[in-house]
Amino acid sequence: MKIAVMSCIHGNYEALDAVLRDIDHQKAEKIFCLGDLVGYGPFPSNVVEMVRSLDIPTTQGCWDEDIVEGLNSCECSYPSMLAEKRGRLAHEWTNEHIYPETKEYLAALPKVIKEDNLAFVHGSPQSQHEYLLPELDGFIALERVLSTGADMLFCGHTHVPYVRTLDAGKLRLLVRTGTEVPEAEMREFNAPLKRIVNVGSVGEPRHGRPNATYVIYDTDSDRVTLREVEYDYQKTCAAIIERGLPPIFAWRLAKGLEFAERADDASHLCERGV
Amino acid sequence: MSHWAILSGIEANLAAYEAVLEDIKRQVPKVTELYILGDVINASAASEKLIERIRNPRIGELVPQVCKGWWEEQVMMLHGFVPDLEPNPLVEKYGADGVKALWDSISKETVSWISNLHFAFMEFDCLLVHGSSLSVFEELTPESSPLLLLDRIARSNANRLFCGRSGQTFRYQIKDGSLNSHVLTLDGAEALETFNTSDRLAIGVGNVGGTPNQATYTIYSPNTDIVKFRTVRYGKSKGFGKT
Repeated sequence: MKIAVMSCIHGNYEALDAVLRDIDHQKAEKIFCLGDLVGYGPFPSNVVEMVRSLDIPTTQGCWDEDIVEGLNSCECSYPSMLAEKRGRLAHEWTNEHIYPETKEYLAALPKVIKEDNLAFVHGSPQSQHEYLLPELDGFIALERVLSTGADMLFCGHTHVPYVRTLDAGKLRLLVRTGTEVPEAEMREFNAPLKRIVNVGSVGEPRHGRPNATYVIYDTDSDRVTLREVEYDYQKTCAAIIERGLPPIFAWRLAKGLEFAERADDASHLCERGV
Repeated sequence: MSHWAILSGIEANLAAYEAVLEDIKRQVPKVTELYILGDVINASAASEKLIERIRNPRIGELVPQVCKGWWEEQVMMLHGFVPDLEPNPLVEKYGADGVKALWDSISKETVSWISNLHFAFMEFDCLLVHGSSLSVFEELTPESSPLLLLDRIARSNANRLFCGRSGQTFRYQIKDGSLNSHVLTLDGAEALETFNTSDRLAIGVGNVGGTPNQATYTIYSPNTDIVKFRTVRYGKSKGFGKT
């Protein structure tokens, strides 16, 4: 069975429409969405309506949470100071333009979806705001997959797609308990092969081109395909300006990259408590 | 040379604390620093006396360095210093009576003192904390996943993590390890990398006041990296003993 996984639509209805058509063309039987339906883009409510009407299982993204909980829901909401400054403008605009029932829907979204040996999250199982960048320490990345109990973890949030395979993980441990046991116990920890699939972004790409990205996973062949879909992004750029959003969002959508979105600290781990 | 005594979980048990202080005084080489990793109080009237003792060490005694524990965090929530959690951990564990008891047993001055406590201490390459680098609520144990421990140690850029939440004494060493990572990007670029880790240590420092007539704590020498667990038996029927 082919499944499609998409994320980070960010109110870009044109991009969503193009991706849904591509998913149809790829003959995927099921779609999952990893959140961030709103923010930055000009049609947040339309995007939410479309996802709801197709009954797509969806996890809550960081933007979805922030729109419900307010901007201080997590201290690491933005990758950099500049991104935060610009993000605030988009947050205020989105907050004014979405319907109350849209907020209710976003508030009720789960943080993690599990299906068989697959797990779906927005940022990481730790937090919607945590970035699982491809250069993250391998052991920490492995911990995030294992914490879900899945073999494959689908995430978004970074807006740059990748497939990461973590293999041959082993640790040697010496554990001593109590005050009166002199001998330490030697343990070995061997991790089976695990994968992290970042599905990129439908509506606000950061891989250097304006195209939408998402992923097709074939459960029979165990094959992951990173998809890149062209669409008329200039329509969205025009709508961003017409609807009163900061023009920088149109500029960066057209470029597929904006320096403010690069993380100040790529190794940062979300500090939200457990 | 530094020699640390590291305590946690006194839980308003003044007799246990006094017994541990006596044991610390008997240590050779001499203990140079005294850390208390939270849970100095509980929801009882004895908390105030214990706090007074901690804040006013006698002549010649070490000045304890105290960080927040589970109980201190409950006080902070109760008095609105930090956002409440849903569900409230104090209500879940002790019910409404527990909330009232904690409210009644801690004075405003003590609340103010608690509010100024640190979350953790970082000395040399050691993090000293009640729960973990992530939260006072998290319980690290000898059965914790080694990957989770690596994460919690890496978060603080430490090599050694001392914690007290579980109340257990344990020494959990990640001796070494390796892992292969392969990343494939949209443009077909591939990156192969092998990650290695070595010698990270999580230490459960024990519990002073939770078990009647028996306290456990930890002695650590950062210069030699030697960890020593102490058991102190106290009380009229037991007499002083040590292992």
